[in-house]
Amino acid sequence: MGDSRSRPGMRLPVGLVLVALVVGACAGAGASSPPVESAPPSAAGATAPTTPSPSEVPPDQVTGELTVLDWAGYDDPLYWQDFKDAYPNANVGFEFGGSDGDIYGKMKAGDQADVFHPYTGWIQFYVDEGIAQEIDTSKLKNWDKVPEDFKKVGQFNGKQYCVPFDWGFTSVLYNTEKVTTPIDSWAALMDPAYRGHISMWDDGPGAVTVSSYIHGYDETNISPEQLATIKQEWIDQAKLNKAYWVGEPDLVSMFQSGDATVAYSWQGAYATLLGAGVPVAYADPKEGRNSWVGVYCIRKDTENLDLALKFIDEKLGEKTGNNLVSNFYYGHANQDVMNGITDETLRKAFSIDDPTILQKTNFTPNLTADQRDAWTAMWNEVKASQ
Amino acid sequence: MAASEAVARKPPRGRRPSDGVVGARRGTFWALLLPVVAFLAVFLVLPLVMMAALSTRADLRGPLLEPWAPTLKHYVSLAETPSYLRLLLTSAGIAVLVAALTTLLAYPLAYFLALRAGSRAALLLILLLVPFWTSYLLRVMAWKLMLGEEGVINSILMGTGLVDQPLSALLYNRFSVTVTLVYVWIPFAALPIMAALQRVDPAVLDAASDLYASPRQQFRHVTLPLSMPGVIGAFFLVFIPTVGEYVTPLMVGGTSGTMYGNVIQDFFTKAANWPFGSMLSVVMLVATIAVAILALRAVDIRRFVEP
Repeated sequence: MGDSRSRPGMRLPVGLVLVALVVGACAGAGASSPPVESAPPSAAGATAPTTPSPSEVPPDQVTGELTVLDWAGYDDPLYWQDFKDAYPNANVGFEFGGSDGDIYGKMKAGDQADVFHPYTGWIQFYVDEGIAQEIDTSKLKNWDKVPEDFKKVGQFNGKQYCVPFDWGFTSVLYNTEKVTTPIDSWAALMDPAYRGHISMWDDGPGAVTVSSYIHGYDETNISPEQLATIKQEWIDQAKLNKAYWVGEPDLVSMFQSGDATVAYSWQGAYATLLGAGVPVAYADPKEGRNSWVGVYCIRKDTENLDLALKFIDEKLGEKTGNNLVSNFYYGHANQDVMNGITDETLRKAFSIDDPTILQKTNFTPNLTADQRDAWTAMWNEVKASQ
Repeated sequence: MAASEAVARKPPRGRRPSDGVVGARRGTFWALLLPVVAFLAVFLVLPLVMMAALSTRADLRGPLLEPWAPTLKHYVSLAETPSYLRLLLTSAGIAVLVAALTTLLAYPLAYFLALRAGSRAALLLILLLVPFWTSYLLRVMAWKLMLGEEGVINSILMGTGLVDQPLSALLYNRFSVTVTLVYVWIPFAALPIMAALQRVDPAVLDAASDLYASPRQQFRHVTLPLSMPGVIGAFFLVFIPTVGEYVTPLMVGGTSGTMYGNVIQDFFTKAANWPFGSMLSVVMLVATIAVAILALRAVDIRRFVEP
């Protein structure tokens, strides 16, 4: 056949090709999730661990590494400002979860984060499966500033497992320049008038909630027939939907680029878009807004219990709370912070200084494991039906 | 006498002079092979076996590693839900389209680099690979900027007055997924084709022109058949990973661009239902392997390589 040796001049580029392929493959493979260490969780049914006596180390000499599993955006020091100021020599590392299911899956797989941040609906799973440990609230100096309704969110069987931090609403967000009649119902998310510019949150339980409000179903007791109706409704809605959003940054960029003009949204996106100069309004639907609370829990068997308690305590601090309210318009569990808000728009639009607000809105109930499996499977079938 | 004596005199039984070399070679063979086999067994075969085992778990409740009673209920449920299998078929269809387009577009590139670039081939190859050095996610995000309603393409079309409303059909659908995947895969696909073309002996091409073959005939009857192994390699290199692709549909696919990989990802994350996700993965793995085997049987590569 002849000389089939590669030409000499190509040896260097071919070597580079191999290097580039390896690098490219690694970069492509490592696209999303952060690394998770796999260690099986310890058996359930342990009692609350004996807590060590309060450390007598002065705050600025407290050291250690704390790992927090949190949602994107909450790693900004603004949202743990009090901890950073009080304990400047302690290090905090963040891992990210994209949704409650994501965080739950990671903690089940043995993620070694010391502190994690689930939201209403999913909190009970961590208690039932022995992932969260009981918190000794006598060690939290800010605990008295939290209203009773909020304290109860993290209580199960009379014990305090999680500490509330942020709370807010879910409603319909819309661009006032492109949507001329104000929106007053959740049904706007399924309205063909907004075809191609709707964005729904990529979450099954969220979809079931919206349908329950529209049809007046009892969220805690959805029958299989109702679930089938809900599934078909969202399969039809998918044809009007541009793209589902996963995290608030996705939603914000879709509104900014004009790809979405009507969306299921929390008020964080509303605040961010207003700040970016996009003309948006946050609806007050006749079926009522949904409300939710985010809590911080401590992983059972964490070696950093002392530091974790300090972190959670400082999360209830004033600076942190003020940053949360002014940047995201979310409520903070510390009632002093809420009473100190002077912005009239915030006080009126969100009633966020009202400690009984949870009783006046459609507060997200806890999911059962059956509901979780059925509703997420329903949602995946909706997505697969395109 | 000499010949028959030579035949009759057999070598003594037991160790022969060449045994030492063969024995050493065999030892070297295993010494080189064993680490790789062990690595693949632990990091490739074992996880796949664990995933197949996990697909028989009923759900994710309770301690993760506690022994469970195996059940086939997820496979049964798959048979009763046509939408997942339809989605797998659609994803495979997208993968075939992407692989075909990528191979088609990568061929001229590889041809130029291997046979026409001459002394500048090395430099041009490096330039081809420079996009690799950017993060995969950034390359996909760049297409969001290009195709969005206020993106580069729409701005040009609106600015020049070719359209008066921005085209919303460019992004968040299967079109954008296909375009982005083709873009990402072209440098990968060009490499095996280039390798195959470099093995073509220039003397053969000279012989073809000496026999009065026109350049087009040369290409069709000599160059293309000889490069076929590379082309087929490039096609499968792109097809197999694209069937399970989920990152690109997640970023630019929107609602209608959802692919099978997205559903698997959702079951592993949002739905916290790893057993169902494992079942979907096993089904995709088996289907892809079956398709690849059938396709390679149908296309007999030896036909192209041997004269």
